[in-house]
Amino acid sequence: MPRLFSRRGFLLTGAALGGTAFVAAVGGVGYLATVDVDGLDGHLDGDRANLNAFVIIHEDGRVVVNVPRTEMGQGIHTGLAIVVAEELDIPFDDRISVEFPTDGHAAYSSWFNALQVRPEEAGGPVVWLARRALGRMEFIATGASGSTMGMWHPMRVAGAAARQMLIAAAAARMGAPVAELTTGDGFVHHNATGRSIAYGELAREAAVLPPPDTPVLKSAAQWRLIGRSQPRVDIPAKVRGAAVFGMDVVLPDMLHASIRQAPVFGAQISSIRNEREVRAEPGVVDVSIIDGRHAAVVADSWWQAEQAAWLLDIEWTATEADGVDNDSLSVRLHEALSLDAPHGHIDDGDVVSALSDPQSAVVEADYSVPFVTHACMEPMNATAILRDGRVAEVWAPSQNRVTMQAAVGRGMGWAGIRPRDVILHVMMTGGAFGRRSDQDVIAQAAYLAARHPGRAVKLLWSREEDISRGLYRSQAAARLRAALGPDGLPVAYDALVATQSVFSAMGSRNMPFTPSPDGDYLSVEGLDKLHYAIPNRRMRSQHIPSHMPVHFWRSNGFSFNTFFTESFIDECALAAQMDPLAYRRVLLRDSPRHLAVLDRVADMAGWGTPMAPGHGRGIAIEECYRSVVAQVAEVTVADDGEITVDRVFCAIDAGLVINPDAVIAQMEGGIIFGMTAALMSTITLENGSVVETNFHDFPMLRLADAPEIEVALVDSGQPPGGAGEPGVVPIAGAIGNAVFAATGRRIRALPMATTETTGERRTRSVLRPGAA
Amino acid sequence: MVAFTVNGAPVEIDGQDNKPLLWVLREDLGILGPKYGCGVAQCGACRVLIDGASVPSCQAFTGDLGGAEIVTVEGLAEADGRLSAVQQAWVDEQVPQCGFCQPGFIIAATALLAEIPRPTDEQIDDAITNICRCGTYPRIRRAIHRAAGVLATQG
Ligand code: FES
Ligand code: FES
Repeated sequence: MPRLFSRRGFLLTGAALGGTAFVAAVGGVGYLATVDVDGLDGHLDGDRANLNAFVIIHEDGRVVVNVPRTEMGQGIHTGLAIVVAEELDIPFDDRISVEFPTDGHAAYSSWFNALQVRPEEAGGPVVWLARRALGRMEFIATGASGSTMGMWHPMRVAGAAARQMLIAAAAARMGAPVAELTTGDGFVHHNATGRSIAYGELAREAAVLPPPDTPVLKSAAQWRLIGRSQPRVDIPAKVRGAAVFGMDVVLPDMLHASIRQAPVFGAQISSIRNEREVRAEPGVVDVSIIDGRHAAVVADSWWQAEQAAWLLDIEWTATEADGVDNDSLSVRLHEALSLDAPHGHIDDGDVVSALSDPQSAVVEADYSVPFVTHACMEPMNATAILRDGRVAEVWAPSQNRVTMQAAVGRGMGWAGIRPRDVILHVMMTGGAFGRRSDQDVIAQAAYLAARHPGRAVKLLWSREEDISRGLYRSQAAARLRAALGPDGLPVAYDALVATQSVFSAMGSRNMPFTPSPDGDYLSVEGLDKLHYAIPNRRMRSQHIPSHMPVHFWRSNGFSFNTFFTESFIDECALAAQMDPLAYRRVLLRDSPRHLAVLDRVADMAGWGTPMAPGHGRGIAIEECYRSVVAQVAEVTVADDGEITVDRVFCAIDAGLVINPDAVIAQMEGGIIFGMTAALMSTITLENGSVVETNFHDFPMLRLADAPEIEVALVDSGQPPGGAGEPGVVPIAGAIGNAVFAATGRRIRALPMATTETTGERRTRSVLRPGAA
Repeated sequence: MVAFTVNGAPVEIDGQDNKPLLWVLREDLGILGPKYGCGVAQCGACRVLIDGASVPSCQAFTGDLGGAEIVTVEGLAEADGRLSAVQQAWVDEQVPQCGFCQPGFIIAATALLAEIPRPTDEQIDDAITNICRCGTYPRIRRAIHRAAGVLATQG
């Protein structure tokens, strides 16, 4: 069901259409018609035969698949290489490798993310225009769990087109009709004569042929690779220590930089009191102030730069946020639930009358979560060089080429340089979780490169900068109310969330315009509960500005709203004296897809079988990124409040799954990522600055505390859904509900526990009294 | 001047006694397998074997390493390129996601299996304290058991 202007897509569609209007004014639709959004034309590039923008075949038969999406652990390089190999009809073995292309071909754009229209279903003039405009803008982004949904079809087409061109080249060589030729194992065969020619031998001839008008795709029954787990292409290098992450970029004669950013976000540097002394430290080449806000030390090695940076004595300007601390933040958060005129998103039926009906039992609860941060394993970094005073080249782990490009211009602009050309290399990325769609570090590195023309500068943030001077998932609070009818089922559901708009904040930092906070669907995703059959429904949001730089964080609004709503549904079930699973089953009676996932996970977990005292099971379900995911958590709570998550069961309907093991891995990883947030993560503010600095005070779940996880894939026959984020979404609610089952204590705030150190790098989680 | 070996090759480092081994490996020797993740002995991404023991190299001062045998993740495979049993188990269980933490886990697991050939789950819990933000722990546990099994049959 394509929704052209879904709330998900409208912000970026707006941007795209703005771009379209501009382009159309300059060159007209005729110009846009020349933008190649399919990328099916071939060409020769040295010893590489580019059969199209996605498929390169070497003479020795090696195949390089161009995957213009960031590999950050989700396995996208493998998934999209599988669909190409499937249509190319070659085995999935080590003759296949993947590159992130350096050029910004229009066929690479992430237009699915912007338009939320599946490529295989797309059509019409608006899509036609927006696709071309987004292609022109080089809108190449990896996020919103959208890479498989957006690229699996275009890359199938590219694989199929390449195969047909290889067959055509073979037909010409053999003088045999195309209809008599078959493919297999990297050869074109002519069975009648027993002749075979390898793809590598044909590639150069094939690359200069015209691509087929409508490439013929395999039918699902012909698939040999799609839907069967294939080993990931990036893993061998990763176990050898040979994968080149952004941090591992080495260039001749390069400089290294370390940075100190403002302790209170928004503060400026009034002076560096000891600049002269720091400049005299060993290896130090330069001390500078970036954009009035950040102090950077450039040295011959990062170790020297970082040592010298510790010595910096910086005087920061005062800001209005200097007095902000956790108490004032949480007051602001909870007050926001009572402020006037929240923004309305849904108002169906008559919620107000239902809630005031004396016949109905009203359930009401407030929930909250704190600021948290990403803590990607690879700290923020970027390497940049300015050549000939005008060509900028940048290597970085990054989720977004458009904001990357803009950041290079911004950073070099601070040094008065306007690069004529910008060459971007997206590196292997050590975790991203949304963090790397903001390019603060790239702008900083670009500035430093402009100060040292001709020399590459690699800027690496320390872990302390990452945690205490970085970007954050916003705090949030919600007030949920339901009016239950005589049967205990909700007649009305009323949801109000207060949080800081991510799109506004992210836009103001990275884009030429600031989207309105009210329209930010990221604030409310996970709040509407549309799949539950409830006749009257209202959903509203209140934007709470703060000085904190908030940002995308794996699963965004779902990361808190689903915790709120799925806990609240359990509260309603309790009021109705119904089992939480049975209650959800009734509410999902009109949603067969959800019901199938719910039943599957309940079955896996043995829902309803008795548990010993102190043990409990909790369930939660969500629809997100066009997938449906449900989890059951089993917990043990000791008398002193120590909580252990023993087992987690997860069922996901992610539609058609290309590489099942990769989806299973994303569920496992998502559950553990979400558990860290649910049990451990909080960012504390004192005098306007973040207190936490490293993993000792911003702890992570470790192996000893990881639960057993069992994942089932449910096949509904839908096209692919997202998998990178759904695993995170239900876990906090499932654990909170399990704690209630074990103890009768209702968790309404995260993190639900405090982390105690029990030994060297060993911890335990103890439920916080305040969490209930 | 300090002399030691890295992955079998002799090296001499001059005037860097206070520089952590991690940065000597990465910046002076161009050995990039060990990663910087925290700098404070919390994450284990920088782990290397020093005389067979798994040590966070961000905490090992170069001046103390005279005569040491240092092995990084790059030094685990056989000379002919065949992966070590631990590395192969990591491939077979498809452990890495982003992979940034994995050199440190592979080193920690290698040291564990050298000391305890068939570790129990509790022994794995105690020994493997690195951080993986991507959450690959269930597969790491399985891979360690798998590697232990393979090593046992190889004698
Ligand atoms: S970098 Fe050494 S333990 Fe984290
Ligand atoms: S695989 Fe990404 S941090 Fe472990």
